Amino acid sequence: MPPVIDLNECIGCGKCVDVCSEDVFFGTKDFGKSIEHKPVVTYPEVCWHCNLCVKACPVAGAIRLRIPLAMSVAYKDGPLGNS
Amino acid sequence: MKIETVDADVLCIGGGIAGLMAAIRASELGARVVVVEKGSIGYSGAARMGNDHFWAYVPEAHGPDMRAFIKECMLTQLGPMCSTLSSRVVDTWMERSLEIVKLWEEWGIEMKYQGQWEFAGHSFPGHAMTHLKYSGHNQNIVLLDEARKRGAVAMDRVMAFELLGGAGRVTGALGIDTREDRLVEFQARSVILCTGSTRRLFLGVTPALIGNDTRPFTLTGDGRAMAYRLGAELVGMEMLARHVGNRYFVRSGQGTWIGVFRDPYGRPLGPYVAEPSRRYGDITPEVDKSLFARVMESGGGPVYMDCSGISDEDYEYMRHWLVQEGSAPLLNHLSEEGIDPRKHPIEFMSYNFASIGYIRCNEKGETSVRGLYSAGDESTFGISGAAIFGWVAAENAAAYVGESAAPAFDGENARTEEKKRLIETLQNRMDGTDWKDANIALQQVMSDYAGPVRSAPMLEAGLSHVRRLREKARNTLRAENRWELTRCVEVLNLYDLAELVFVAALERRESRGFHQRADYRMTDPLLNDQVLIVRNVDGKPTATWREKER
Repeated sequence: MPPVIDLNECIGCGKCVDVCSEDVFFGTKDFGKSIEHKPVVTYPEVCWHCNLCVKACPVAGAIRLRIPLAMSVAYKDGPLGNS
Repeated sequence: MKIETVDADVLCIGGGIAGLMAAIRASELGARVVVVEKGSIGYSGAARMGNDHFWAYVPEAHGPDMRAFIKECMLTQLGPMCSTLSSRVVDTWMERSLEIVKLWEEWGIEMKYQGQWEFAGHSFPGHAMTHLKYSGHNQNIVLLDEARKRGAVAMDRVMAFELLGGAGRVTGALGIDTREDRLVEFQARSVILCTGSTRRLFLGVTPALIGNDTRPFTLTGDGRAMAYRLGAELVGMEMLARHVGNRYFVRSGQGTWIGVFRDPYGRPLGPYVAEPSRRYGDITPEVDKSLFARVMESGGGPVYMDCSGISDEDYEYMRHWLVQEGSAPLLNHLSEEGIDPRKHPIEFMSYNFASIGYIRCNEKGETSVRGLYSAGDESTFGISGAAIFGWVAAENAAAYVGESAAPAFDGENARTEEKKRLIETLQNRMDGTDWKDANIALQQVMSDYAGPVRSAPMLEAGLSHVRRLREKARNTLRAENRWELTRCVEVLNLYDLAELVFVAALERRESRGFHQRADYRMTDPLLNDQVLIVRNVDGKPTATWREKER
């Protein structure tokens, strides 16, 4: 479940933690103080998938949303009318 | 737990569109303003991802007759959404809409498309175009900058949860820090509530993913609950609303899609469009928000948004506005899954019921408590309602503060101490109920007993159960940390609102909209011009009918 952080890419700046109004990263210790302090996703189930953490991140690819299977869009693999 | 005091002329509770517009206006009128927000201001509220539709009356596009325009608008989903508002409120909304549109444009929110006013979606073919298209992806940040420029103080990560005052006036509020061990006592001459809509009262589409909703998880009707406890009148608490959108990826923005809603055989569900229309979209689900649910339940589904046949230009136009609207995460998901809406019809659904119900306000944004104002989704709806009434409420709050009649804070020690004890109790319990258990218990009883099928015995049974649950929650809720503490306080607010839903639903002895009573199946025309008010009388919720104001 979202968000997913690539700890090798993350620079520990804490921007994602700052912008999250749901505070899914709650409990992240000393974020933004050094590269050693990476965000922890504590409450993933309340994520709104608003993408603001992804937009706030200065490093492309360090954070992304993983859409839960339960939210996968349902669709038809071809035109209508052939049912 | 330490108590910190913060002093303000005008306290805006909630830092979304309404709260920021109120902060901007009250500041420029000379008031000392604090905006308090339990999340992160600029990144909070329902509008933080953006929006692309702004309900506005633009005479050069709509003609000189504002009333005729409003009448046309009432044919769309705006009609039922305005049903509990007075016509003076709706008139003020439209009279001031263009002024706000122009301000936003000036501040850097693009309100025009390619240099022109652009109207599309949410409209019937051949009728008035109700909504201005605009590029709202940056709106919250722009408004935050404007508020700061004028000297408003923005306070993040503090949840205001109780108003202070008495004898029909407000004197401030109490807030808990959502991260640190701190209680904040706001001493304010006026308070503008801007806390948004009420989620988490009814079960959502994916109960285990409580955040999968059209509005963020943190919107729990706090303003309504606080206003009610202080004695303000609420209206329409018995009424329900529902949205329509993509199946399972729960999002607003249905009105931005360009295509036709069709059944599996390709037949259009509604009579309005037969081919994709850039100008109109397909308004079918706005006419009947339960239609897609009924089609599915009766075996005629699924219902698809069929974009086949759309031109490349219109497809890019739609994608542009979906991004402005805040649907970039959805578009990313479609792209990652290899779903192309032109080739793959996407399922849409009627989402679960949600509570509406407003803090009752007049056209000045005034509640029935002196010094207390409300704006945004807790007293109107949508972006334009939030923007315009945030602005209007602030003008009147600033005038109230300027009058000698506004009393200074004269000490609310007993209330503050009582609430401090509550917070400490929630934090110090060694064992007990967690917030999620208490929240789910509430959602299931609301959905079962106060959902789309209602009757006196069901409502009475549900009300009894909710009251028992609330008592247990009060006596057993336990917070592991400040995050959970915030959730516990939200859940206690939701329990108060739940009781009001039952009390009002019992009093409305008729069927109307989504309020369907098995024991009163007719819509009673004698109630057409009445509104149902709920307020706190000596600690008890009391529902009374009142003639709707003109």
